[in-house]
Amino acid sequence: MVGLIVLGCIGLIIAWGIVTFNRLVSLRNEVQNSWKQIDVQLKRRHDLIPNLVSVVKGTMEFEQDTLEKVINARAKAVSAGSVQEKVTAENMLTQALGKLFAVMENYPQLRSNDNIMQLQEEVTSTENRIGFARQLYNDLVAQYRVKQEVFPNNIFVAFFGGFKKEVYFEAEEEAKKAPQADISIRRDSSH
Amino acid sequence: MPLTFIDIERQKSWRIGLFFIILLLMYFSSAMVIMLVAFGDIFAKDFLKGVFASFYIFIFAAVLVFVHFYLLSFGAAQTIKEKLGAADPDPEDELHKRLCNIMAEIHVATGKKRKMACAVIPGQAMNALAVDDFKENALIFITEGLISRLSRDQTEAVIAHEAYHILSGDCRESTLAVSLFGFSMPFIEKIMIYGGRAYIFSFILFKLGYLLNLFISREREYRADAGAVRMTRNPLALAEVLHLLSKNWRGTGLIGSELEGLCIVNPRFNQLDELEGFFADLFSSHPPIRKRTEILLAMTHASITELDMKRRQGESDHRPKETERKYYALDAQYVWQGPFSIPELAALPWFSTLTWVSDGSETITKASQIPVCSEIFNARIEQAEGKTTDYLCPVCQQHLLKQHYEQTRIYQCKYCGGTLVDSDKLPRIIIRRENAWSEKIKAQARATLKENQQNYIIHSAKAGKNKIISLRCPKCKGSMWRTFYSYAYLVEIDRCICGAMWFDKDEMSILQCMIENKMAGEELGAN
Repeated sequence: MVGLIVLGCIGLIIAWGIVTFNRLVSLRNEVQNSWKQIDVQLKRRHDLIPNLVSVVKGTMEFEQDTLEKVINARAKAVSAGSVQEKVTAENMLTQALGKLFAVMENYPQLRSNDNIMQLQEEVTSTENRIGFARQLYNDLVAQYRVKQEVFPNNIFVAFFGGFKKEVYFEAEEEAKKAPQADISIRRDSSH
Repeated sequence: MPLTFIDIERQKSWRIGLFFIILLLMYFSSAMVIMLVAFGDIFAKDFLKGVFASFYIFIFAAVLVFVHFYLLSFGAAQTIKEKLGAADPDPEDELHKRLCNIMAEIHVATGKKRKMACAVIPGQAMNALAVDDFKENALIFITEGLISRLSRDQTEAVIAHEAYHILSGDCRESTLAVSLFGFSMPFIEKIMIYGGRAYIFSFILFKLGYLLNLFISREREYRADAGAVRMTRNPLALAEVLHLLSKNWRGTGLIGSELEGLCIVNPRFNQLDELEGFFADLFSSHPPIRKRTEILLAMTHASITELDMKRRQGESDHRPKETERKYYALDAQYVWQGPFSIPELAALPWFSTLTWVSDGSETITKASQIPVCSEIFNARIEQAEGKTTDYLCPVCQQHLLKQHYEQTRIYQCKYCGGTLVDSDKLPRIIIRRENAWSEKIKAQARATLKENQQNYIIHSAKAGKNKIISLRCPKCKGSMWRTFYSYAYLVEIDRCICGAMWFDKDEMSILQCMIENKMAGEELGAN
């Protein structure tokens, strides 16, 4: 009788182990997949930037410095290897791009150029996609970390050791500003 | 207990699954009843009698019901798309391109779990809805009006809301309810009328199925709002959209009544929707917009008043300031002149209170309706006459002047020549015969009388007893109504309950001329 109970307990523990292991594996894969998704969007951004730079170059010849920064940041981001490197490089690129857009506001002739407006829409969309992909990645990383760190699981993880902690893709400081309310009906819906 | 979004999100939707099953049961049982009654009538009389006959009929009916179910539920997205007249986004249109981009962004935010497409409903209305059928066709519909008037963030919030409906699965359930019950309802009603009592049972089941759908619709709107916020992390944008939608045309009549439950806000203004409590929770398809907005705003520490202020500010930003604005004016030859600034306008020799003025937009008003012009006129009259009365001309909004006429007191407007007379003074004016009438007035009096006699006959034939409310009484501020002075002297004047009477320019002279020359009898005799 006692033997049966012990056997049952061992069986339960093994079953729990299998379930936990499988959950962790599937979460790990989801995290990796969502990282790949960010990569896809980042690639899209890297491809768009040379186009943008070449189009605005003519009009913005006095802003060589800003353009230079964007080009350099892009080069760094493309060549980045590890996750941490990538995060830093991409954040720098985001900042450089933000600066470029701010400067572009000073050139009204750019706004009348359809080509540039379309390109700007593409860049905005790409930035949003990166944002969403990053958000998804961070959410999944958080879930994964919680799964690893809660009580019985942490012993299990330490025992197996196959699950390393993933790094969050942190946002740069500027993006943390609170949004402003605006519900006016737009007459110009260009952006 | 306050309902927060996290709470709503946590409540797992076992109810949706349960209702889904009940919905299907109701559909199949009611459809089977219809089929059985119909085929029982047709076949059973002549051949196939006995137990086997009813068995065959049952099988046959079941097959037909399944075919009907398949046709309705598997092609639902396409059917609804055709019903709404929606089209795929135009790749050459920039706003549509933006919409496609936003769809792609939301797709990324959802982790690319479901494929979704979007379609645009033409027209001014502002609304959005999502459908999802068994063929895995998930479609988000958005009206042209919404795309054009929302900012990028706001459109994103709407798409996220609809995408959540699709992801959570409640969209498929409601699409099914709409296509099974909503679209079949007219047909069921018809066969109930022609087919007799046997169908009433199925009719009741159908109605119940439709109502059942309403029971859970409120909760799923709250949940979709929550989901949208989780995706976009921007509760403010969604609150702005809801607030905007609550103040605009949401497509009543454009979006069929059976599709109402699928929309982000109910296209029809529904009293029940804005109420809370058990009854409203059960029978309305949407939660109160105000409550939804408040929940969202609580997350951003903002309030509806702030939104309203921002909106008003935004609208006044678009409009140029009063002093900088340019106006067009209609001259005596009925030609538009301009643009003039206010000082230029005031300097025009032919500019008066009655001049038609437009500020370049679609609205055309009389000059007296524009506050700045009105002030100019007021200043002018004070300069010229010195003393004015407190009474305002109901036509020009300028102060009336006290005048003596036929040795009694009347009030006259310097600009339009209209006169205000108390009812006790009018008989005196009529009796006193100081003025000699010019030929022009006489001719006008005859023409007015003749024309009004003819019109009066038409009017009385139509039995139009309704008072025509026209002007505001200068004395008591009540409304005056337009009427004839008397049945014999058909001059149109404005009367007020307080006894005041308003004559437009020359109307009083015409009336006096008529009475003094006894024109009424003369003209009637001629007829």
